Amino acid sequence: MITFSINGQEYEGQEGWTILDVARWNGIEIPTLCHHGAVEPYGACRLCAVEVDDGRRSRVVISCMYPIKAGIKVQTHSPRVLNVRRWIVQLLLDESPEAPQIKELARSLGVTPSRFQKTGVDFACHLCGLCVRTCQEVVGVQALTFGNRGLRKEITSPFRTASKDCLGCGSCVYVCPTGAMEQLFSRVAG
Amino acid sequence: MNNDSRIGVFLCECGGKISSRIDLPQVRDLLQKESLGHLGIYPYPCLAPGLAAMQQEVRTNGLNRILVGGCASRVMKKRFTAGLAEAGIEKHQVELVNLKDHVARVHDAGPQGLARKATALLAGGIATLRLLEPYKPVAVPFEGPALILGGGISAFATARELARNGMESLVVSEGQNPDQVLELLPRTFPGSRIFFGEMAELLREVFTSPLVQVVPYQPIEYLIGGMGDYQLGMRQPDGSVTELTGVALVVALDREFDSADLASIGGGERVWDFLEMEKRLAEGRIKPGRLLFWINSPEHGKAAQEFGAVAAWRNSLVLAQKNSQVKPTVLYPANIAMPLTGADLAEARACGVGLMTYAPEVHPVVQSGYMTFISPKDGLEQEVEWDNLVVSAVPAEPTAKVQELLRWLPIYPEEGGRLAKSNVKLWPEDVPEESLFFSGSAGGICDLGEALQQGKKAARGVLRLREKARQGILVSPVVVTVDQDLCEGCGLCTEICPCGGIEHVKPGSGPVPREVDNHLCHGGGTCAAACPHEAIRVLNNNAQTLEARIKAMLSWMQEGDILGFVCSWGGLTSANQAGIKGLHYPTNVYLTSVNCLGSIDPVVLSMAFLSGAKGIMLAGCTPVDGCHYAHGVDHCWYRVNVVKKLLSLAGLDRRRIAMGYVNVNEPESFVRMVESRMESLEQLPPITRDDKNKAKLWAIHATLHRPRVRWVLGTSLRRPNDKVPGLQVDAVDADEIMVEVLQEEFLASRIFKALTGEPLNPRGLARALEEKVEDITPVLTEMEKDKRITLKRWEGGYPLYAVGKA
Repeated sequence: MITFSINGQEYEGQEGWTILDVARWNGIEIPTLCHHGAVEPYGACRLCAVEVDDGRRSRVVISCMYPIKAGIKVQTHSPRVLNVRRWIVQLLLDESPEAPQIKELARSLGVTPSRFQKTGVDFACHLCGLCVRTCQEVVGVQALTFGNRGLRKEITSPFRTASKDCLGCGSCVYVCPTGAMEQLFSRVAG
Repeated sequence: MNNDSRIGVFLCECGGKISSRIDLPQVRDLLQKESLGHLGIYPYPCLAPGLAAMQQEVRTNGLNRILVGGCASRVMKKRFTAGLAEAGIEKHQVELVNLKDHVARVHDAGPQGLARKATALLAGGIATLRLLEPYKPVAVPFEGPALILGGGISAFATARELARNGMESLVVSEGQNPDQVLELLPRTFPGSRIFFGEMAELLREVFTSPLVQVVPYQPIEYLIGGMGDYQLGMRQPDGSVTELTGVALVVALDREFDSADLASIGGGERVWDFLEMEKRLAEGRIKPGRLLFWINSPEHGKAAQEFGAVAAWRNSLVLAQKNSQVKPTVLYPANIAMPLTGADLAEARACGVGLMTYAPEVHPVVQSGYMTFISPKDGLEQEVEWDNLVVSAVPAEPTAKVQELLRWLPIYPEEGGRLAKSNVKLWPEDVPEESLFFSGSAGGICDLGEALQQGKKAARGVLRLREKARQGILVSPVVVTVDQDLCEGCGLCTEICPCGGIEHVKPGSGPVPREVDNHLCHGGGTCAAACPHEAIRVLNNNAQTLEARIKAMLSWMQEGDILGFVCSWGGLTSANQAGIKGLHYPTNVYLTSVNCLGSIDPVVLSMAFLSGAKGIMLAGCTPVDGCHYAHGVDHCWYRVNVVKKLLSLAGLDRRRIAMGYVNVNEPESFVRMVESRMESLEQLPPITRDDKNKAKLWAIHATLHRPRVRWVLGTSLRRPNDKVPGLQVDAVDADEIMVEVLQEEFLASRIFKALTGEPLNPRGLARALEEKVEDITPVLTEMEKDKRITLKRWEGGYPLYAVGKA
């Protein structure tokens, strides 16, 4: 058993568990977008940032992939953490001002659209990769993948044609946190 | 009933997403009366601490069945199976009930109201788990040669690959030596002459290999058995039948070409089609001059045109290299892809082969010695001179020989003569590994290289199976059994099965009980639902488990509630998505998911009414293209239709049951469907549960168990070979026959029910059933003949009938 603290309270966990696991199990809510129980953590959205003090120094890490260690002190809602989260949500919100989940996150963190917000965006994929991971890890086929790089990175089917591997099971649509997959689905499934 | 089941129920709060909407402690209290091994509420069972806690409970309470009340089964099940594997829990022992998307997120009712609904759904899950039978995988032996049938060229690529890996094969081929095979090749692959050198090498290797036996093709008498033990009978010229056996089946079929109809062009000796040109090329009868290949006939599809264009280009090279006096030109439409590289083009130029494109919008015009076409570059008319004109050959329909072979295989002709395996597309882990291999251009016009590649791929598939068998893990996740005592060998199942899982029997062998090849079966279960004698059983997915589930659910449901059956592709995913999107629909619909609506036995539907359902809705994928189990959803429609007719006969409203179609990613349609279903059912009162109605509902249920009814129903189901969707033959007459049978059998069932209470004479029966004596008497005589009832004695001049022995 590993003992450590979250927000000043002592918690116990087993080796291999992450901070997010223990926090959620004990009712401490940490916001996430790219985390889903069905697949392995991936660390794409960085929203689950927490502050970890390991006795030497204190730094901001992502809780979904950070394994718990004895004696560390975790802050889930410190000003530093909230600042990081607000910035992330600010960027997401400006990218897709209309996505319901992002709007909800922004509201809870008090973030409002900036002057850089995009216009004319009707759906918002944030490349969290949940659909791609679910397709591979849960369904066991590779009908979805990332296409392009950098600014033009996108979710697509291999070779950008209707995928022969796609079963049309809709698992990607089910796990998508922003609803973007709903629009992409017909292009992948053909 | 499985008495040593210890069920653990784990309710998920999902971080408040479920617990804020459903009163979970109340659910726990309501479920207390079920005898469970464990029952608890957890914040996040799917996270590492949750899985550790579940493992702990499994170990301390000796649980062997796990029910999680949380979210979508298809997405989350793997997580629990993997997380609990250490504690000895296997995949089939885990069941999920989707409280989040089917209850918490989609209804307006308060937490207490939703607690009752959640309890009903969970009770259904518990009832199913109680009936769970252990899955005992049976490894199939797999030692022996592979059978390679069909006569396609890819057969030799398969045989070579198998031989190189030390596996024997039997190739059934018309060509008995490399030269014969090569001679036949241009019939299926025009333009392949350029590869004859390489092909000869491949064929020499195959024909000289001690591991390959090439058997001459003879008409097929039968092809039976299953993976690990296929038997092929061929009728020899002397009338005897020789049998070949093999462990795996590779079907290598190539598409043949027919001669083109040249009447519209004329030109006599100067105009040929591709096959004629091949013949002349083989015989060396091509005169010097301008030879124009015209790739026409867009009606056969782009693939055929592309194939023709490449073939023409290859033959042009052969011609030009042989005789520099021949000047070939290929004229092809601009909208097809010509897969030529820069080097290819340079070679063409060096040999003096011309390549030209024409605008496909304007049909080229043939003149004597000239051809006029529109250039796609500038839209301007151009002319090309010719001495000999060659037009494309026509892709042929499958030959009689091929059709004879297909009779035994789950391979069907598609539109345009293309052959394909059934469109069953399921989760890889739910179905057995591919065990029937189909290669060659019959599956889609392709290049010779592609066909050989397909053959090689098929061989790798066979080798994969052999490897698995050697490790002892060649098992199928589907277990379907046929009760050999119940089966009367009518063959209905073989006819309607799209996946070839039900084995064929030798012709003329009479009614032999069927067997199932679980390595071909996809577990769709429409065969089980159709079997007149209810002899087929899909392990843990049969009428009994589904009946238990809905009975348990109905015991918690109220008068106005309805049952909703959703298939796990269209209906379920759209219902789940409705939850994700937070769409709302009436609380009264209680969803049950099945693999495919086609797996629902009609007796399950009647059992639902008998157990208290007011109404039923079924939501499945759109027929033809949407259904993941080929025709499951079509079959379900016919079964629902019969239930409707019986409801009418019983004087109950036939609108109580209705079917709807919704595809994946259509949550709004699903919600609309549920809403209008509820609306139409609200106009109907609940079924009064008096003795008369109960007897009628019982009779409906009993009628659907009758082999005669199930047989007539089975004959109306769509077959995998029926290609025209929704095609009805003598629709009204067929329906009238169905109604007639239902009337007779329904009355017989009602009589049976009445006689189980007390012995009655015809007059008394007529009074009790409110029917005419003259209608009842012939049915009574029939029933007595069938020994369903007996004539007890004569009383006051009337026969007194009773159930059971005299």
